[in-house]
Amino acid sequence: MLHIEGLRKSYGDVLALGGVDLDVHAGEIVALLGPNGAGKTTLVSIVAGLRRADSGVVRVDGLNALSRSSEVRRRIGLAPQDTGLYPVVTVRQNFMLFGELAGISRAALRPRVEEVAEALDLTELLDRQAGQLSGGQKRRVHTALALLHSPRLLLLDEATTGADVETRTRLLDVVRQLAADGSAVLYSTHYLAEVETLGSDVVLLDRGQVIVRGGVEELIAAHAKPVVELTFEGVVPDVGLNGEATVDGQVLRLVTDDPAATLVTVLPRVRADALQSVEIVRPSLEAVYLALAGRRYDEADREEKREVANVSAG
Amino acid sequence: MYPRASLAVLRHEFRVMLSDPSTAIFVVIVPLVLVALTKDLFANQLSEDGFASANGSEFAVPGMAVAFASFSVGYAGFTFFRDHGWGTWDRLRATPASSVDLMIGKVLPTVTLTVVQLALLFLLGKPLFGLEVSGSILALIVLIVVLALSLSAFGMLVTAISRTMNQLNAIGSVGGMTMAMLGGAWVPVSAMPGWAAAIAPAIPTYWAMKGFQSVILEDGGITDVAGAILVMIGFGVLFTVLAAWKFRFEDAKVYFG
Repeated sequence: MLHIEGLRKSYGDVLALGGVDLDVHAGEIVALLGPNGAGKTTLVSIVAGLRRADSGVVRVDGLNALSRSSEVRRRIGLAPQDTGLYPVVTVRQNFMLFGELAGISRAALRPRVEEVAEALDLTELLDRQAGQLSGGQKRRVHTALALLHSPRLLLLDEATTGADVETRTRLLDVVRQLAADGSAVLYSTHYLAEVETLGSDVVLLDRGQVIVRGGVEELIAAHAKPVVELTFEGVVPDVGLNGEATVDGQVLRLVTDDPAATLVTVLPRVRADALQSVEIVRPSLEAVYLALAGRRYDEADREEKREVANVSAG
Repeated sequence: MYPRASLAVLRHEFRVMLSDPSTAIFVVIVPLVLVALTKDLFANQLSEDGFASANGSEFAVPGMAVAFASFSVGYAGFTFFRDHGWGTWDRLRATPASSVDLMIGKVLPTVTLTVVQLALLFLLGKPLFGLEVSGSILALIVLIVVLALSLSAFGMLVTAISRTMNQLNAIGSVGGMTMAMLGGAWVPVSAMPGWAAAIAPAIPTYWAMKGFQSVILEDGGITDVAGAILVMIGFGVLFTVLAAWKFRFEDAKVYFG
């Protein structure tokens, strides 16, 4: 459904996308994961026709997104990163406008609005002014607007940012349902845990490059190992596993394929009264990112924020 | 082009406009007050210009109508900046509607507002101020429509070159006001200093005022105002071409700041 090849984009001297290749098939959900500034929004915006790529190929349903953009946009549903609603008209009027612009007749649109509203628990809000909704309600309306014409390719750019738990759950349910009905979904997100919940294929984007793609379990199995963490009162003792052990303050971390065997080996070597806690950390996407990008995920975010602050200050 | 899309945007823009009708009310009520205040002043000037029986409304009504129609320059741009502020601009652009569809849908309501405003002032001019139109009503209507199109096209040009709402306000308001003043909407060209009178024909509103004067005071018909209409169409085309050249749909516009 979506084919991207060698996609490059720079903003002045800043490289946003450095030759991205990506395919998303019908019925597939692909989570586009990366820290702030990784290039997620740029990628989604180019696919949606909102920005021009410097070079590369984007095809949607076999159509060149650059030369046949209007036809391509008929097949796409986009929920941009920032919530976009007309606050001075009702939710229903927002739906009617964007439904008509998507090419749905007014007669067909009325029942479709009810259908989409029901799926996202918005029925009772349809005749409320959009500006009077809560943040979570606005977020749901914002996403629902992208679903009206049952797009063949749904682009969700950080759809759950700032959303409460209920909103997030409903949105993820709708995304799963849409994929089950045959749409392709490119789901850009900042949240590692959300992708693990979604259980979709993951594309990890870092500094404008795809660094890995695969299923969550597959990536974790290939790139991350479980960690046994032992927290001590006072100095961390030498447990004699130098190659696999790292010390971080009062915490001893042991990377291992077999946490139980490691514990059996280590525990007899430490004094019970010095040990505060023992935890087995399940391998996660955070560990995958660390292994492949060479830095912690939240550290990448902090670096990006520092860069933005420096640019603003400069 | 996808006419249904233009129609959907147009309908929506009217709905948004009516959700806060203060602008529409302002551009009708305030000029009426100003006509009441200034009408008598202009009676003397018109008398000196050879229209001895004029009561002043013959200049005050079209003058104030044109002056306040110039606010549509800023309003045309506001409809775009507002969408950037509400986050709906990218949403609109991501729909199958073309740039032309969006432009038509967003600009036509401003044109309509200006036409209605001008028409209302002329209609109320008779019962409130004794305004008599001696010439062709059809010519008056054509002048009104062409002026509204020309001002909205100028509004698009100002929008295209403005990056922030502040710039739009400054260029739109000051530009619109200057255009009205230099065009002879506030003061008759015959009473303006020589240098100002010399540059007045380079302003679209001059031609609107010239046309209105012909229709109201000189029994003017379509053929009498054809020149003024053609010049205003020329300005409209020029502004549209420049706006199309400078307008970048993908550029972010700053709603605040």
